[in-house]
Amino acid sequence: MGKIIAVHSYKGGTGKTSLSVNLAATYARTGKKVCLMDLDFRAPSLHAIFKKQNLNYWLNDYLNGVCEINKVLVDVTNDHGNGGKLFVALANPSTEAIRDMTAKDRKWEMKALGRLLSLRSSLLNEMDLDYIICDTSPGLQYSSINAIVTADVVLVVTSLDASDINGSQRMTSELYDLFEKKTGILVNKVIAEYLSSEKEQKKFNKYIKNIHTLPVLATIPCFCEVLRAAGDFIFTEERPEHPFTDTIVDLAAKVEKF
Amino acid sequence: MAAYRKLEAKSTQLLEKIRENLELLNEKIDVMIEIQKHGNHEIPENLPEALDVMTLLSLPDHLRKTAVTLCKLEEATADEVSKQTKRARAVESGYLNQLVVMGYMKKERKGRKAYFFVDKEG
Repeated sequence: MGKIIAVHSYKGGTGKTSLSVNLAATYARTGKKVCLMDLDFRAPSLHAIFKKQNLNYWLNDYLNGVCEINKVLVDVTNDHGNGGKLFVALANPSTEAIRDMTAKDRKWEMKALGRLLSLRSSLLNEMDLDYIICDTSPGLQYSSINAIVTADVVLVVTSLDASDINGSQRMTSELYDLFEKKTGILVNKVIAEYLSSEKEQKKFNKYIKNIHTLPVLATIPCFCEVLRAAGDFIFTEERPEHPFTDTIVDLAAKVEKF
Repeated sequence: MAAYRKLEAKSTQLLEKIRENLELLNEKIDVMIEIQKHGNHEIPENLPEALDVMTLLSLPDHLRKTAVTLCKLEEATADEVSKQTKRARAVESGYLNQLVVMGYMKKERKGRKAYFFVDKEG
């Protein structure tokens, strides 16, 4: 049975999308069948990374009940599979679609939760996928909480920014714990000097453990090369020898066993 | 021997009927308790409440667990919900009936079984 993973954070700009994309590509590279979903309907991103603009159906249409999920899935295996399978389900980036999604009422959100929950049957059971990775909106948004309720595992991406740490702590007790989700923390964009020696690393790990009650699954250094890539390509595919790729491979193994 | 078996079958049937009736009675008492707690005026008649995620967050822990489980199962008996939550069937039956009274779920009898579901069309 496959797993649904929701990648979430309290604040924006923590690196959810970058980590979701690289995690999905890493699983696909090791022979897994993966679907990556853009559930950030307020600020869609994956269409730009996978360079898909004019689609007939978007994830919005599936949630609206206009079509089934098979119409939405875009098979990008030829460009990114490398042994496994990689599908993407994209959020409509048009202003009209964003406006439409922000004006939905509670009843619609309830139906959307039902549509998301039924992906377990259509994608994990019928299509036999190994992973569904949901990239979400930051903070307490309907689409993000719907993804969290649907998921088996929640990965919370956090920076070392004080407001981000505070927000992540509050969401742990007021969101993830309430839905009894297996949740892991990914500390992203860590300044290199905190990890410069074994001693520094130990000190840093101790500091992080004091902050977060949840298990820390990855400590990801801030690499200028990743920033320079500017989301124009999937970093772990282009730079398999880079330490960032090693960190994502390690994270993928941890999430598999989590 | 045959007469004994017949008698045994009859008493099993009788006990089963008593159990069913007790369960029905239990459910009715649960509903009455809820009505007493909240008063009739708070029970939505024409406008069922939406069981969206923000509502799920606002529910007390014990009811949230039941409600999320039913959202996942779409339609289920108290017995099916209790298998997922690993709580007693009678406990789940009570919680499900509370959620029905609160307007978040609906209940429908099909033969001997009561099925609970989230009314998405309203």
